[in-house]
Amino acid sequence: MSAKNGSTQGSLAGLRVLDLTRVWAGPLATRIYGDYGADVIKISDPRVPLISPNGLNSKLNRNKKNIGLRLDKSDGREIFLELTAISDVIIENFRPRVMRNLNITYETLTKINPHIIMCSMPGFGLEGPYSEYPAFGTTAEALAGIPGLIGYDSSLPISTGIAYGDPVSGLNAVGILLTALRHRNITGTGQFIDIALAASPACNLGEFFAANSSNGYTPTINGNKSEHYSPHGAYPTRGEDQWIALSITNEKTWKTLAEIINNPILSSEDYHIFENRKKDEILIDAHISDWFASKEAEEVMFRLQTRGIAAGVVSSNRQLLSDPHLNQREFFADMDEPLFGVKRYDGQSIRGNFINKSGWKTTEEVGGSSKEILMKLLGYTNDDCETLGKQGTILFQ
Amino acid sequence: MAKSKQPLPLAGLKVIEVAQGVAGPHCGRILAAFGADVVKIEPPSGDWSRSIGPFLGDNENVESSATYQYNNSGKRSVLLDLSVPEGISTLTDLVSEADILIEDWDIPSRALNGIEKYRFTKLDSSLIEISITPFGLSGPYSYFSSTPIIQLALGGYLYLTGLPGKEPLMLPGHQPDYLAGLNGNGAVQIALWERDQTGAGQFVEVAMMETLATLHQFTMEMETYEGFVRNRNGNLWQRESAFANYGITTIECIDGHICFGVSTEDQWERLCIMIGKDEFLKDPQYATRSGRRSVAPYLDSLLKEWVGERTRDEVMREASETWGLPTAPVLAISEVLEDPQFLHRGLFTEIDHPISGKASFPTFPFKTNQMIPDVSRAPLLGEHTSEVIGF
Repeated sequence: MSAKNGSTQGSLAGLRVLDLTRVWAGPLATRIYGDYGADVIKISDPRVPLISPNGLNSKLNRNKKNIGLRLDKSDGREIFLELTAISDVIIENFRPRVMRNLNITYETLTKINPHIIMCSMPGFGLEGPYSEYPAFGTTAEALAGIPGLIGYDSSLPISTGIAYGDPVSGLNAVGILLTALRHRNITGTGQFIDIALAASPACNLGEFFAANSSNGYTPTINGNKSEHYSPHGAYPTRGEDQWIALSITNEKTWKTLAEIINNPILSSEDYHIFENRKKDEILIDAHISDWFASKEAEEVMFRLQTRGIAAGVVSSNRQLLSDPHLNQREFFADMDEPLFGVKRYDGQSIRGNFINKSGWKTTEEVGGSSKEILMKLLGYTNDDCETLGKQGTILFQ
Repeated sequence: MAKSKQPLPLAGLKVIEVAQGVAGPHCGRILAAFGADVVKIEPPSGDWSRSIGPFLGDNENVESSATYQYNNSGKRSVLLDLSVPEGISTLTDLVSEADILIEDWDIPSRALNGIEKYRFTKLDSSLIEISITPFGLSGPYSYFSSTPIIQLALGGYLYLTGLPGKEPLMLPGHQPDYLAGLNGNGAVQIALWERDQTGAGQFVEVAMMETLATLHQFTMEMETYEGFVRNRNGNLWQRESAFANYGITTIECIDGHICFGVSTEDQWERLCIMIGKDEFLKDPQYATRSGRRSVAPYLDSLLKEWVGERTRDEVMREASETWGLPTAPVLAISEVLEDPQFLHRGLFTEIDHPISGKASFPTFPFKTNQMIPDVSRAPLLGEHTSEVIGF
């Protein structure tokens, strides 16, 4: 049976979200809302185009309407307040002072719409000693303890390479905003939510903190080596920078692996015991590496998995895009971009009643829906729009 | 602003969790903290995460696993053997009275226990069922065995972390599970929105591999728009990408490392002035981002000189307060627990457990002015069996 691939309307029909977020964490959250049929209105600065040849903003802004609006002009701010009055959620990820300078704070907005749910996603949080400090994905994850746990040894911590605070915060936002909406529906009260990018990755390390606080537990930094499993790591396979990950979790799969490799040293009965394998890990790794070196990663992965051994190709971006599993599950979305032709994007990983992919809309350029929003939602006339356009308050595409 | 006296927003919702390890349970933990009654079904030997380290206190036993306790906070534990028909029948009764079912049955375990995909949602069209598995319920990997490193590998994360040419490095602990658990909570909340309006439930599949594949920054666009394989590059980012600036780097201080996240042009200019190299601003070598990145080791040495014999805290203060540059110390686990920013936010809370004693657990990364999540201790093995199913 194939995995579910959407519905016509989407579960979040009827929800309106004002999206002031940029770059990654925030747009990731609102993309999920857009895929699920919420009316996501992205507010962009008319002076900065969204669509670019590197596709940076095209990935996370599909299924959203765009209005090009100058929040720093008084008539632009007025329009924002009018949108606030008819929206459920406002989400932003500026540095704290930006919203203060624009005088768009929760205190102001709640007077316009007492039911509004507002979410800010600053680096370190809106209060506390670092609250005014600038942050970036890599610095947020550092404070959370992530790179402190990554390294070939303890001499050099290594960043994730993906700004880990952003995706974790985006996923947290998706859930907590909807929980707050449920709270509003029950109590009639809106609320303010402050998500710290630096705090999110820490909440994915709960067991480390609990153990450290209880008995001083401190993990050893030693590449991919595991305290529970051996062998455990990534091994080079045939081709340039091609690797396979392997994780032997019990005696049975170790015996199967030793049988497949058929090497007298690895077949020793001593190695049926985890502690003995762990002790000779370097030697065992060398033999396994020799065996893998001539193999093709995908082929050997299927061969091992068929026998119940946990193994997986270490996929690059290119390999991921052509991955047989994701393709068979119709995970990707191939969308026809007006300027660039068909581009492949990641699809929706929450496989419930999201909008059918055939109904998905590519990222709108700044101002793509300005006119529709002003006229249909706010009752502005064509003449009003022309005036606002001439004043540079609003950009129309 | 005064905290609400209202009940938590998920109060009154009944959740049955038939999931072990981290992913499904982490999702259930969030639901419990916001008021849902989460009944966790455990096999007679307990959730397997009860048997893995790290442990709390002085003993390694099923009541001392840090991973179990963190992810099962506030739930009720019921022992039920699903390998016998009576077990499945009791489960069916429990699910018939529930609003939400969280389960982690992959294809092999569904076959083993004879649980077809829509068994429960067919019986009750208002049920929300969240299936959280490593690879989903279809496709060539759906029978695969895996641990976090395998999920990270196939999800495209592993390849991106580590030094160029060297072994790719995994993220610590159980990151694919945590991410899928968070995605699972998103799925529950989305499905509740629909159900609260229409009464209709839904079956939602969340796979770890697909979760990772949607959390990739702009990795895939580097291939689809710019045509290059994104390599791992230690602490210097994305050497091929046109938008990667110099200044995303890690420098050693006298008490550990500090991370810089200089990404914009104005930050680069302030970095030059900060390290006393105003002349770089007129030098064609430094006019482009690729020009800067091509001499990254030299720039690292200049930054290291500027850092000098200072602590991480001193460097962060000056770089942030005087120069407006994003920096943060690379903290060890024990240091995160005492970081002044996290202390100020109250990120951690101490929970007492009758067997393993006191330990500090993270609460949540968000703070709200209306809802106080209820973070309490995890249940003992089968602690609530008798009150829930009467034996």
